[in-house]
Amino acid sequence: MREIIVNELTQAFQQMARDIAHYLPRLVVMLIIVLIGWVIAYLLKLLVRSLLRLTKFAKLSENAGAAQLLHQAALPSSTELASRFIFWIAWIGFVLLGVSVLGIAGLQEYISRFFFFLPRLFAACVIFFFGLVAASFFSRAVLLTAVNANFRSSRMFSVAIRLIIVIFALSMAFEVLGIAEQTMLVAFATVFGAAMLGLAIAFGLGGQDLARKFLEKKFTRQNREEREDELSPL
Amino acid sequence: MIRELELSEESLLTDEFLRQLINIGEVDIVVGLSTHNNARTIRPVVAAIQAGILKCFPRERVAIINADGGSQDDTIEQVQNASIDDLRRDSKVYALRTLHSISVQYGRIPDSGKALHTIFAGADLLRAKACVLISPETTTIEPDWLQRLARPAYYDNFDLVCPIYQRHRYEGALVRDLLYPMTRSMYGSRIREPYGSEFAISGRLAADYLSNGIMDQDWGRMGPEISITILALTGKYRVCQSFLGAKPPSSRGGHDMVAAMRRTVGALFASLDANFPCWSAVTESQPVPTLGTVTAHPQEALRINRKRLLDLFADGVTQLDPVLSSILSPSVLSDIRGIAALGIDEFDYPAELWTRTVFEFAASYHKSTINRDHIIQALIPLYRGRSLTFVIENRDGSEQDIERREESLCADFERLKPFLLEIWAERK
Amino acid sequence: MAVNAEATWYQHAIIYQVHVRTFSDANDDGIGDFAGLAQRLDYLQELGVNAIWLMPFFPSPLRDDGYDISDYKSVHPSYGTLEDFKKFLSTAHERGIRVIIEMVLNHTSDQHPWFHESRSSRDNPKRDWYVWSDSDSKYSGTRIIFVDTEMSNWAWDPISKSYYWHRFFSHQPDLNYDNPAVREEMWQVMKFWLELGIDGFRLDAVPYLIEREGTSCENLPETHAIIRDLRKRVDEQFPGVMLLAEANQWPADLRPYFGDGDEFHMAFHFPLMPRMFMGVRLEDRKPITEILHQTPEIPAACQWCLFLRNHDELTLEMVTDVERDYMYDIYARDKAMRLNLGIRRRLAPLLDNDRRRIELMNGMLMSMPGTPIIYYGDEIGMGDNIYLGDRNGVRTPMQWSGGWNGGFSAADPERLYSPPILNPVYGYQAVNVLSQKRSLHSLLSWMRHIIEIRRSNPVFGSGSIEFLYPANHRILAYVRQLGKETVLVVNNLSSAAQAVELDLRRYKGHILIEMFGRNIFPRIGDLPYLLTMGPYQFYWFRLRRI
Repeated sequence: MREIIVNELTQAFQQMARDIAHYLPRLVVMLIIVLIGWVIAYLLKLLVRSLLRLTKFAKLSENAGAAQLLHQAALPSSTELASRFIFWIAWIGFVLLGVSVLGIAGLQEYISRFFFFLPRLFAACVIFFFGLVAASFFSRAVLLTAVNANFRSSRMFSVAIRLIIVIFALSMAFEVLGIAEQTMLVAFATVFGAAMLGLAIAFGLGGQDLARKFLEKKFTRQNREEREDELSPL
Repeated sequence: MIRELELSEESLLTDEFLRQLINIGEVDIVVGLSTHNNARTIRPVVAAIQAGILKCFPRERVAIINADGGSQDDTIEQVQNASIDDLRRDSKVYALRTLHSISVQYGRIPDSGKALHTIFAGADLLRAKACVLISPETTTIEPDWLQRLARPAYYDNFDLVCPIYQRHRYEGALVRDLLYPMTRSMYGSRIREPYGSEFAISGRLAADYLSNGIMDQDWGRMGPEISITILALTGKYRVCQSFLGAKPPSSRGGHDMVAAMRRTVGALFASLDANFPCWSAVTESQPVPTLGTVTAHPQEALRINRKRLLDLFADGVTQLDPVLSSILSPSVLSDIRGIAALGIDEFDYPAELWTRTVFEFAASYHKSTINRDHIIQALIPLYRGRSLTFVIENRDGSEQDIERREESLCADFERLKPFLLEIWAERK
Repeated sequence: MAVNAEATWYQHAIIYQVHVRTFSDANDDGIGDFAGLAQRLDYLQELGVNAIWLMPFFPSPLRDDGYDISDYKSVHPSYGTLEDFKKFLSTAHERGIRVIIEMVLNHTSDQHPWFHESRSSRDNPKRDWYVWSDSDSKYSGTRIIFVDTEMSNWAWDPISKSYYWHRFFSHQPDLNYDNPAVREEMWQVMKFWLELGIDGFRLDAVPYLIEREGTSCENLPETHAIIRDLRKRVDEQFPGVMLLAEANQWPADLRPYFGDGDEFHMAFHFPLMPRMFMGVRLEDRKPITEILHQTPEIPAACQWCLFLRNHDELTLEMVTDVERDYMYDIYARDKAMRLNLGIRRRLAPLLDNDRRRIELMNGMLMSMPGTPIIYYGDEIGMGDNIYLGDRNGVRTPMQWSGGWNGGFSAADPERLYSPPILNPVYGYQAVNVLSQKRSLHSLLSWMRHIIEIRRSNPVFGSGSIEFLYPANHRILAYVRQLGKETVLVVNNLSSAAQAVELDLRRYKGHILIEMFGRNIFPRIGDLPYLLTMGPYQFYWFRLRRI
């Protein structure tokens, strides 16, 4: 009996050793891939950082308002963040590549899904980023125009424009990512439509006087008192 | 490059315009008018031009060229009616020579750059020795203005003749508190009206303006009129200024302010990039020959709502704080916030602070810290604050006091120029 | 008479203005004469002129170049005898050349026997033949014509101790046409010459015949009555004779001198001439077209006389002050050239001896509606001498050759009535008939050619005129029409080449034939007719529809 147990154990250990010997090269390959991937990801990070500095990405993100957001969240600068993001995406990619070498069944599908997801993730980031840029630009343009036209609630208009564009960009990004796209679209449509309806009602009912004054100012002569304020600058 | 310029020049010359130029032939003087729906004001202007030609240049060959941006009223007809020829036999006007007054539509929407380009192209093809530009809205024009502008260019070989206007003490704050001191300190010439709606240039300067591609550059596109002055100041051209007379107040309203800022201050700031080697070497300004004598402007009473100016300034500073912090240094912005909190009785936007403000805006414009057009627009509320100080300081002073104040401001601009050079070179 | 006695011969005439004294000297006394003139008629016939206008050749003290007449029925001995004149007249007629003489109606010389009698006593029968007054305040406000020399229209006569009226020089007292005896006597004078066979009179200074208080003493109705009377007598007794008015007036004021076809046959168009010079310098047709627009219609049998220069100064009386100043500055920068509100220079010096401009001006002269007059010497481009005083600078001897005295006279040069032009540009060695006859391309040859074309096309003499108004103001263009004959004239007044588009749609389908070279030009279509022209170039096109 003891001999049977010893034999079985010996066979089991031998089997285990054979299994380990079978998987060990793959593990080594995986580790090599991961290591090389880390190096490549690091180099990629440096390259992206240099490229972003060259193209003044920091200024663009500052214009977009992204820099302020990151600063408030105690996050690194946008250039640094972007380059780190690239590093992690690249290294995770290599890690997954290494894992796929192990040949573990069931994981292959998720790994290929990850790689298919990457371009959409990139597109969504780009859309959202430029949405931020547009929001910043147009909100500032509206602010300046409203201030110079002597509108009382210039800030409100500016913030509203920024919000609308950001939400619009966000919903586009989610649509590209394919995450709860229907939900986002409906939510955006609802919010946007409600906001417009609300504005129309507010402007139409509550802002009758303002609307009348606005139209009078646009299409009729201004009264003498108002005109005398602004002397000819040239 | 030259071929492109030739083609782009040709595209502004329609066949009909070219035909009219052929019929006119060589002239001595061209009078240019850039119009768009000016039927309300054009008649007295054209009458004064015609009278000026007959009185001051009866023997010279003169042509009036009107570049129109798609007028829907009878502006063009009124200009063409200024022609004097042997067909109009019922005219009461006597002239030794035929006077051609032609119109050309350069486009469907007004564009002062294209208008100037059209007029200068016509003057160049007609080999005019002098080209006088008159605004169709200057109803205060007198026949003698033509002589005061054209004579220095035609007889005395000046390349640019800038105007000097009689102004009400409250008018022209942008010119007197920004454009004049800035142009003077940057380009070293004491041209009082670097942006004049009337001026004269020599045929040589007109031809150079057409050929050196300024119209394709930002500052040339944004402010064609001021770009001519800057071109003359930075090149080897003879410049003078000539006293004209009273300037009528232009139309008022906030939207005019933005456009006015763009085509004057915007163009001026943009020109600093292109002309850095020139203006950075200028250390002091020189007077330019001034012709004619300045007479006092009858100072009619004007009601100014100073409280409103203050409110516009203060509201602007508050609401644009995030924008201004991208443009101005913390110390200047802090000072501006401080004066925005002042009441009307103690309000003062000091000259030195204003100078630093303008210079920091110019430097930010150069570095494009934010969109450049937004930088220009952001200056407007600050300009309103400064114009309030302008009104307060000029209210009680004599003509000499006002002149002294202006000289003092110009001295500040010249004295602080090294500051501009310092921040110009800084990385943001 | 060999000439065609056609009634309106003057409408197709080419008149050559000449002073006997200046043309040719046959008896070598240094002064031109009728014998010499007769010898040169072949030249004039060859040139193509068919009428000569002779300046005064009557006995005279010559203080106004013969316009101060002391004997109306004779010939100044310097120029020959009455017989010489008759021979000359006959020779001219044989060559088909008519003769027009001067008749100074308005005044005589103070050496005339009539004036001697008139001034001798207040009771003399001829006292009233002149206009006398005890004071010089009558007719005040009347303009002085010779402003450079006369201070008043009245002159004091120490003999009769009273003032006499003179519109010209003080030695030319005005005849009193309110006196019927004067009118009758002057008709007898005219009749004397008409009976000899002359073909016309140029009546000098006609606007000034009558004076009336409170008027300008010019162009008065009574003056016209006198002229009508003279015309009636001429038509009745000497049909075919032409009367030419010398009246330096605006066209509207000249019109009455044609009457209803019952006064003068012709009148000089004085205001047009300075404007032609102005137009060429301004390079603008405006002065020319404007004065022609102001020119009224005249009776069908009447005619304007056109000229470029004559024996007097280029008058600037009928222009505005601005125009006069311009003309002085351009054409008479040297003040010595100016005289009596005019410029005393010949055609070629006025045009800087520019052959193209000389041709252009002559082209306009020959193609505009009117009878052209060529001043002697201008056909070869003679120069002037402004330092000879008065208007004598434009009355120098004719230059026939490069030889002795320019071929004018065999007399000693010091004996000539006037020194000839000597400078290297205009002197007789450079500018003379003989040398120009030898070249087909000389100005003389060109003048012969254009006169020939003019004479062979009646449309120029009596056709209508319609101006075209091309947008290029440097081009003066007009259409002459007579019956089916249509001629298009296009003149480039500019010193630079020009392009012009002419609206000739009403002549659509016509072919243009250039009349000098007789080459055909493209047919007129719907589009504006484009012509390109060289500096100062002109075209005469006959329009033909085939």
